[in-house]
Amino acid sequence: MTEPATIAPRDGGMAPGLGTDRHFKYLILLPAVFILLFIGIFPIVHTLVASVQNINMLEEDTSFHGLLHYRYLFQDARLWESIAHTLLITGIALPIELGLGLLMAFLFVEKLPGRPVFVALLVLPTLIAPVVAGATWRLLFDHRYGPINQVLGWIAGEPVPILWVINPAYVYPAIFIAEIWQWTPFMFLLLLAALSNVDRSLTEAAEIDGASPLTVFRRIILPAIWPVMAIALLIRGLDLIRIFDVIWALTQGGPGTMTETLSIYTYNQGFRQFETSYTGAIAFLVIVVLTVVVIWLLRRMEIHR
Amino acid sequence: MRARTCAAAVAAVVGLTLSATAWAQSAAERAVEAAKQYAGAEISIVWEAGLQSLDPLNFSGPKWEELTGIKVKVIEVPTAEMFTKILQEHRAGTGAYDALNVIPSWMADLAKAGALEELDAYVDKYGYRDELESIAPTYRDNQMKVDGKIYGFPDDGDLFVLYYRKDLFEDPENQAEFKAMHGYDLGPPQTWEQYAHIGQFITDKYAPEIYGAGQFRQPAYGIWMFEERYRVEGGRFFDPETMRAQINGDIGVKAFEGMRSDNAFMPPGVETWGFVEALSSFLAGEIAMTISWPPFGRWAAGYGTEEEALSWVPKSTIADKVGYALPPGGTPQLAAGFSLSVASGSKNKEAAYLFIQWLNSEETSLQRVQLPYALRDPFRESHFTNEEYLSRWADAGEYLATLRAGADTGLLDLSILQIDKYEEALRQSMTRLWAGEDARAILDDVAAQWDALTDRIGVDKQRAAYQDWAGKPNAYPM
Repeated sequence: MTEPATIAPRDGGMAPGLGTDRHFKYLILLPAVFILLFIGIFPIVHTLVASVQNINMLEEDTSFHGLLHYRYLFQDARLWESIAHTLLITGIALPIELGLGLLMAFLFVEKLPGRPVFVALLVLPTLIAPVVAGATWRLLFDHRYGPINQVLGWIAGEPVPILWVINPAYVYPAIFIAEIWQWTPFMFLLLLAALSNVDRSLTEAAEIDGASPLTVFRRIILPAIWPVMAIALLIRGLDLIRIFDVIWALTQGGPGTMTETLSIYTYNQGFRQFETSYTGAIAFLVIVVLTVVVIWLLRRMEIHR
Repeated sequence: MRARTCAAAVAAVVGLTLSATAWAQSAAERAVEAAKQYAGAEISIVWEAGLQSLDPLNFSGPKWEELTGIKVKVIEVPTAEMFTKILQEHRAGTGAYDALNVIPSWMADLAKAGALEELDAYVDKYGYRDELESIAPTYRDNQMKVDGKIYGFPDDGDLFVLYYRKDLFEDPENQAEFKAMHGYDLGPPQTWEQYAHIGQFITDKYAPEIYGAGQFRQPAYGIWMFEERYRVEGGRFFDPETMRAQINGDIGVKAFEGMRSDNAFMPPGVETWGFVEALSSFLAGEIAMTISWPPFGRWAAGYGTEEEALSWVPKSTIADKVGYALPPGGTPQLAAGFSLSVASGSKNKEAAYLFIQWLNSEETSLQRVQLPYALRDPFRESHFTNEEYLSRWADAGEYLATLRAGADTGLLDLSILQIDKYEEALRQSMTRLWAGEDARAILDDVAAQWDALTDRIGVDKQRAAYQDWAGKPNAYPM
């Protein structure tokens, strides 16, 4: 990108009022920049300030308490367990959503009859509020009246009373099913758009030259769709790190704290236990870690170019 | 001199007459009269979402407006969020709430956080102290005050009642078989061991058509079931000196394992049961015993279920077959309840107070506890003996007598500083219990969490709160 050409005054000197204009330009930008910074920075600063005070259900001690709550972060086993649960969900759901989304995109990139209708139907789950999706899946998984156990019962030939949201063996599968059902279409949509823009002449030329489908994918398609795929992965990855609604509706983090994610734990601490300062410390830790990770990923993915 | 004496005597007579006239008014009438000065105003009240709120929406709210000209805006909040919302609004200083429904075990936390208005001055100003005395002692003495000051009016006689199928229990064949098997008469169980015997006996004989029992297992309700059973078995929550948690001892493990083993004679999937599941199964005649709040008993008898608001309640198939008893041990958990309070941040404190005095008064509350759809349960002496209520259905007398007995022996919900944090640990333990984890390991974790919480809050502060609570006659079985 080049600097916009400036109009030089005919006499070679500075045009009258130009310096004032330049300042005026910044001046009129200033309120917008200030508002943006205020909206973006103020909550972070406020969180940071709260995290070094001692505000909880019964006390509003706004004096400086140093790193009291940050020290507790490292002793709080439940916090680290919730982070592990979050990473587990992200580590499993994200590749599955990507893989399924990519497969569906390959299927629909061809001009099939009725394609627009199918695409629209497939995208529907992403339009539903996650908490509604979670509540719907809770009904579907109901051990007694839910259709999932009914269908399994027909197949098994006897009642199948699986306690999907109680039994430790089934809670994670239930979460993955609900999560992947809702968000695979998002991957699909982005990847379909990316695949539609891949230059067909390149893939056809490679095929004529005898390249295998895998080679065509690795050498031509993947590099072409990578920027979009990387952004999709980043968006969904961040979403999964913050996952709350579906799990809240399905298990509320149970049984025990077995499916408690970072967001659920933070919510519990902040809005049910009123540990405001400690919640601030958790939030600030998450902000810092995620910022570092996202910047590193953006550089690594080279999509900032 | 004589003239002056005469004038004084006349003034005294007139004064006494006027005062007697004023005092002749009931507390409800006094509230209405005083509230008329606020005609045209609007007050908000936080009420539990769902059936509970049909009381102010359909009955008391419109009636109050008709009597005083004050509109009532009902803010429905799910039970699990009520504490959070009340405290959040207080912290934010919005003044959005005027009157509140408060679960009594939260009252200390909310009062100490400054969210509740102290009511003593209003009580005296509007002459309500005498009527407060006619609230059943368990509720009056335990669900009204914090540190000796009034912060709420007990307004709901919640407690757990055992409902059972009289037809099955009184069947001569069942009685003979049961006695031959266990050596004692088949009747409402007096102990948890008997409960298991009877439950298993009926399941063995009638399942899958009828199971021996079915009851709440969702964590929010399950913790009350545990609190009751643990204390009935002789458990104490804390060591009163060291404030170390005691629930992971043998008694706690026995109670926990008993709860889980009882599931064996309950319908499959009982681990997920809440209010609706237990209600629908009992009314459908699928379970022989259940333990729940008083509305189960009214609806099982068919009282008011023709009301549109109760159209979702399954038609009772056992209307003339329901027996009422106290749960094993005879000391039922008071399980939540509600007290009416005034928000300290309210901009209409006086009007809000007058509304709750009127709601809670003898005459208004008597009507409210008979609303079939509103879930408020008898809590005043007069409610238990009211002729109209006693005639509502054939066994209403037995029902009210059971509630009255429970109101005497009922066990208070544990109430100490930051109680929700302790309850949260217990709620999580319930799901682990149903998931099949080792009972002692679960309770060891809960005890460790409780101890850590106590240490964070401060052992001395929490000890004082616990000793205050444990010193009440209904904290533990006598």
